[in-house]
Parts: sequence; C-alpha cells; structure tokens
Amino acid sequence: MNDETKKKINARYERELNKGERFWPDSIFKDLIVSLGIFVLLVLLATFIGVSPEPKADPSDTSYIPRPEWYFLFIFKFLAIYGQIPVLGKIEWIATVLIPGIAVGILTLVPFIEKRPDRHYGKRILPISIMIIMVVGAVLLTMTSEVPTVSADGSKFLGYLQSISGLIIPTVAMTALILMSFVFKGTSTRTMIWTTVLASVSMILVSGVVLALHPRSVVEETEVATTLVDQITAGQDLYSIHCTECHGDDGSVAVIEGVEGLEGEEITPINSKDVLYTITDSAMYEVIAYGRPNAGMTPFGKAYGGELSKSEIDYMTIFMRYMWDDRFEAPEIKPLFPALADGEVPSYDVHIQPVAKRYCVSCHRAGKENNNYLMTSYEEILTTGDNAEKNIIKGDESSYLLQVIQEHAIMDPENPEEELIGVMPPSKALKPDVVDVFVRWIMNGMPQTAEEAAALFVLPTPEATAAP
Amino acid sequence: MWKKVYEWLDERLGLNDMYTNLLDRPEPTGNWWNTLGSASLFLFVMQGLTGIFLTVYYTPSPDHAYDSVQYIMEGVAFGWLIRGIHHWGATLMVLVVFIHMLRVFFTASFKYPRELTWLIGIGLLLMTLGMGFTGYLLPWNQRAFWATTVGTQIAGSVPFVGEFILKALRGGPDLSALTLQRFFSAHIWMLPALLAGLIGIHLYLIIKHGESHFPSKED
Ligand code: HEC
Ligand code: HEC
Ligand code: HEM
Repeated sequence: MNDETKKKINARYERELNKGERFWPDSIFKDLIVSLGIFVLLVLLATFIGVSPEPKADPSDTSYIPRPEWYFLFIFKFLAIYGQIPVLGKIEWIATVLIPGIAVGILTLVPFIEKRPDRHYGKRILPISIMIIMVVGAVLLTMTSEVPTVSADGSKFLGYLQSISGLIIPTVAMTALILMSFVFKGTSTRTMIWTTVLASVSMILVSGVVLALHPRSVVEETEVATTLVDQITAGQDLYSIHCTECHGDDGSVAVIEGVEGLEGEEITPINSKDVLYTITDSAMYEVIAYGRPNAGMTPFGKAYGGELSKSEIDYMTIFMRYMWDDRFEAPEIKPLFPALADGEVPSYDVHIQPVAKRYCVSCHRAGKENNNYLMTSYEEILTTGDNAEKNIIKGDESSYLLQVIQEHAIMDPENPEEELIGVMPPSKALKPDVVDVFVRWIMNGMPQTAEEAAALFVLPTPEATAAP
Repeated sequence: MWKKVYEWLDERLGLNDMYTNLLDRPEPTGNWWNTLGSASLFLFVMQGLTGIFLTVYYTPSPDHAYDSVQYIMEGVAFGWLIRGIHHWGATLMVLVVFIHMLRVFFTASFKYPRELTWLIGIGLLLMTLGMGFTGYLLPWNQRAFWATTVGTQIAGSVPFVGEFILKALRGGPDLSALTLQRFFSAHIWMLPALLAGLIGIHLYLIIKHGESHFPSKED
C-alpha cells in the first residue's frame, strides 16, 4: 500500500470522526447496556437451566460415546464426513491437522491476503461469500452432529447426504466463486451473489432432509443423584436389587440361604464394624467392582463384566456408610412413598414403582428365577408371569400377588401338596403399610399415574372422618 | 473537600489526562454491532471473577474433583449460581467472540491500519477455545473424561510429533491425575495470563487507531 492511499484512508477517517460521537458517554453507554443484558441472561440461564448433572468419570466404561463441547462439534462432524472419502479419508492427519491448520492460517492472514483498501460490501463479494458459506457449513455441521454417517441398519445414505451438504456443495461453490473472480473476470456481482445464496440454501435443504430422516434416538440418561439424600436413596435401591439375595436387605446375613451354589456359606455380615471399619471407601469400590470371585460374589463393575458404573457403586458405598456405619450420621431420608390418607388410591408411578424396586426387582428381572414374572415396568407387572391371568385381578382379594405378599403360599391346584408360588418376598415379610399399598392398588383398578389415582379417590364416609 | 482529594489525586495520577485521552475521544457514529468487543471483555472479566470463587472449593485431583464440584453445587451458598454463570459464560464467550470476529470481517475493519489488531484477535479466539477445552475436563465427569480422551487423541494424530504432543498434553500415555493437574494449571494460570496480556495489547491498539467507521459506498 503506498503512502498516498494511506493518507487518503486517514483523511477519510478524520472526516468520519468530525461528524461522529464521543467515546464517553455515547459508545460506553451502548457497551454497558449490552453487558448488563448479558449479565441478566447469564443469571437466568444459571437459574432456570443450570448445569446438567453427569455421572463421575469412569475410565473403564469404554462404551460411553464422547461428546465434546458444542463449539467443537463441527470439527468432529467434519472428521466423520471426511473419513468417508475413499483413500484420502484413511489419512487421518489431513483432516485433523492439515485442513484445520490451513483454515486457521488463512483466517490469521486475512489482512495480508485481502490487501485492497476497499471496505464496502459491494467491492468485497468474494471474501464475504466464502465466509458466509463457511459459517453456514459450520452451523449445519453442528446441527447434524448427532446423525451418524452410518445408520443403525448399516445404510450409508445419510452419510452420503451429509457429505453432499458438508463437503461437496461448499467446495464446488467456493471453487466457482474463485474462478468467477480470477478467471472469468466478466462475471457480474449478481451471479456471484446468486451462487452464494443457491449454495447456502441447498446446503440448508439437504441438511434439513438429513435431520428429518434421522430417527430420533432416545438418549439413555443415567440417573445422577446430586444431593446426599438422593445418593443414599439411589444406593439403597441399587443395593436392594443387586445385593439383598446374598447379604440380606440390611446387610446382616451371616449364613447365605436360598442362593444356588452358596447355600449355607458363612460370611461376615457386611453391616458389622468388622467390615465397615476395616474397608475404606476405595477398597469398598474394589470389593463391589471386582467382587469376591473365590468366595462366590460376582463382579459388579463394568470394568470386570458387571453392569454398574462408578457412580452407581459410589452411591451404594454412601448408602452403606450412612445407614450402617455408626461413625456417620444419616440425614433425614425421604420415605419410600408418601403415606396414604384414608380412601386414597396409590398409583404405579408414585407408590408401586419404588416399592417394587426396593423389595421385588432384585429377583423379578430378566435372568433370575421368578416364574418369568418381571416387575420393572407398569406393563410387565400387569402382563408377565407364568400365572399372569391370576396374579393381578382388578378388585379381587384372591389375586395371587396379594395372597403371597400376605404370607399365604399358593398351592398347585393339580397337586395340592406342592407349593406353586411361595410367600413373597421369600426371606422376610413386607411391612403392613407396604402390603396396604399393593392391596389398595389392586382393589381399585391399578392406576398408572398420580392423576388417574386421584380420580379414583374414594371419599371417606362421614363416620370415619368424624372426630372422636 | 472531595474537590481537594480529586485535585491531589489528579496531580499524582494524572486523572484529567486519562479522561481526555481515554474517555473523551471522538469516535465515528457507533453501531450496536460494535458493542461485541466490550461484551467479550465483560465476559472475560465475569469468567475471571466466578472462576476465582470456584477455585476456593475445587480440588484438581481425580479422587476429589467430581465431589468438590458436587459440593459447590449442593453445599456452598450460591455455589450453583457461580458455577452456572461460569458454565454459561464459557458458552456465551465463545459465541460472542466469534460473532465479534465476523462483524470485524464483514465491515473490513481489519484493514490498514488495524491489521495487527486482527492478528492479536486471532490469538484471542484460539486462547478462548483453549480455555473451553481445558475447562471442560475439570469437573472430571464421564462427558469431560471421554471428550478430552478423544480431543487429545486428535492432537496425537499430527505426523511425526503427534506422539510427543499427546504425551505432553496428557502427561503420559493415558488420561490421569497428571492430565487433570496440567489442564487445571493451563486453565487458571497460563491461558488467562496470556489472554489478559493479549487483551491489553488489543485494547491499546484500538485506542491508538480508534474504532473504524461503518463502511459506506465511498470506501
Ligand atoms: C451371589 C452372592 C453375593 C452377592 C449378590 C453379593 N455378594 Fe458380597 N459377598 C458374597 C460373599 C460370598 C462374600 C465373601 C464373604 C466373606 O468372605 O466373608 C462377599 C463379600 C462382600 C464384602 C466384603 C466382606 C469382607 O469381609 O471382605 C462386601 C463389602 C460385599 N460383599 C458387598 C456386597 C455388595 C455391596 C453387593 C451388591 C452389589 C454384594 N456384596 C453382592 C456374596 C455376594
Ligand atoms: C428373593 C427373590 C424374590 C423376591 C425378593 C421376590 N420374589 Fe416373587 N418370586 C420369586 C420366585 C423364585 C418366584 C417363583 C415362584 C416360587 O418359586 O415361589 C416368584 C414368583 C412370584 C409371583 C408369581 C408369578 C407367577 O406368575 O407365577 C408373584 C406374584 C411374585 N413373585 C410377587 C412378588 C412380589 C410382589 C415381590 C416384592 C414384594 C416379590 N415377588 C419379591 C422370587 C422372589
Ligand atoms: C477475548 C476476546 C476479545 C476481546 C476481549 C476483544 C475486545 C475488543 C474490543 C473491546 C474492541 C473495540 C470494540 C469493538 O469493535 O467491538 C475490539 C475491536 C476489534 N477486535 Fe477484538 N476482541 C476479542 C477478540 C477478537 C477476535 C477473535 C478478533 C478477530 C480475529 C478481533 C479483532 C478485532 C479488530 C480488528 C477490532 C477493531 C475493530 C474496529 O476498529 O472496528 N478481536 N475488540
């Protein structure tokens, strides 16, 4: 740039300054308003959306699908799309290093690449067009980042569509724009603008099709307990499901009963000081994750073929500490379900589900001996089991389920000497309030949601409410 | 009384000079898009303040990081607010800095005499992304752990020196306590110090050359 142009630019700027404003207060005023707006926005986001809880890092859980911060998603997507290109796609560093490197390099050198002093948009169609296509591309890559390039059924169709919108259209459009500016110099600005608009719109359309065709996958959320009380409750549920058959629901079992292969095995009660005082938290993690294979306790940690994550094992340890270890003071624990008022009907969501999880699911889930009766969802409770049609009969006290939880075993009709179904749960009778929940639920038609249950509320008769 | 104090201070600090040189400057008629730079600065300051509060309870070790963050959310008064602002501030800062760059690009404000401002700006953009990358690991949750595993793997794919970069980032072949310590140090000392220094130069250059005017047909 020669001195004359520089002088012209400076003189032009001088003229703008003369008819302009003052930094203080005019500009600062606008800055303050925007900053204040951002501050309010931050407080609102922090209050109403917050930070979504995540389970603790678990280096052994390699099944976890990594998701980077959202502003790096487009790079991930770009890598995936690039990997589809034959031959070149196999050379990873071209996509991970070379292309991003060139992009950042060009961005850095923009002032030295675009040296002409022109500043008006009309004279900068090429750089502006390229930037628009790049930004539209990055935004679309971010939006489609959830869509895999190979669908679950092995089809690569969506992957090809993504290469079209994320790689082919932008490359073709940018090449065309560069050719128009440097080779076919006669091209009108109109044509260049239309090329950009056309490229952007078709990229948006193709990505729209990709998003529309992509089956919404339900993201499997691991439950994250954040407060101590929630962690203890989560730990107790997990303990009830996985450990009670050998250690009993309060950890007091000293001789294992009713477990195949371990019948009569003498063990140290795990709620004793012997165990709790000698095993530290991290050793406890190891015991549960790795099990005691020699003694007959199977591994539970994902790293060793079990099904529990690090967080889940931590919750169990927290539960054992706060409920059994006298060095810890337990906080007030929420009752398993809200107490029922006179005439109130329990629902599956609020009452049955937590009760079943605590007392029944340890045996009544897939892979256990249970007459094929599964209790992990509303449908399962009502429809599974070898005696499904007799287990739960609306309004009938003689439903098998109600009989067995009230300590009446069901005898086999064909062979009255034999038990068809033993008492449930086999080891220890349920407390009366839990039995009451099951009875009221079945007698009143097994409502699923709290609303359905509320509609069934039977008003207590006047005598019952009359004060004594 | 106040006047006397002011005059005394002015004599030693040169408050009046500061006022005329820094604040009472002429500017071309402004535009709302021009507030994005100061918005980036505001977010940087907010991140600094909330970040300092977070370090009071945060512990950078694999055994305690997760629990200390949990404690900030549940146990510390207004801890959730501080962390929430820091979390969303990070997202917003990347967004605002990026849009600020786009506006500078579209108005061609990087041209003579502001080329250096742009170069420093690219440094700021990369540092901001670096802050996001290093900060993401600190809560030591599943998301953090695996995103960083993959992120550092990408750095490891550089030909010839990849292996070295990977080990330098992770402090060993795998993600470990060393990685967390390193990322923590980068996140609270190295990158913010660099950012602050670069922002200082950026602002000096802006005052020196003045805000560019909005381009019209003439330019
Ligand atoms: C299949 C039966 C079985 C299941 C299920 C089971 N354990 Fe065990 N567990 C054992 C046996 C057997 C031992 C060895 C006891 C001994 O050596 O005294 C043991 C030992 C332990 C010990 C260590 C006791 C010590 O003295 O070292 C702990 C703690 C423990 N179990 C916790 C659990 C937890 C928590 C669960 C649920 C995730 C669980 N166990 C599930 C059978 C089982
Ligand atoms: C320790 C394991 C265990 C627990 C805990 C348990 N069950 Fe069972 N349940 C069984 C087994 C085993 C059977 C198969 C019949 C038998 O052997 O008695 C069964 C059968 C049943 C059946 C009959 C299913 C059919 O279609 O034949 C019902 C109903 C039942 N259980 C209800 C419950 C309820 C309700 C709970 C929770 C309060 C519960 N069970 C807890 C082990 C368990
Ligand atoms: C932490 C990040 C950043 C901060 C705090 C920051 C701050 C500022 C401020 C306060 C201004 C003056 C007001 C305005 O024009 O908006 C400005 C202008 C400018 N910024 Fe930034 N900036 C940042 C990042 C960037 C980036 C990423 C670039 C581009 C690569 C950039 C390039 C420029 C240029 C060229 C100007 C002069 C604009 C003009 O005179 O019109 N800055 N910046």
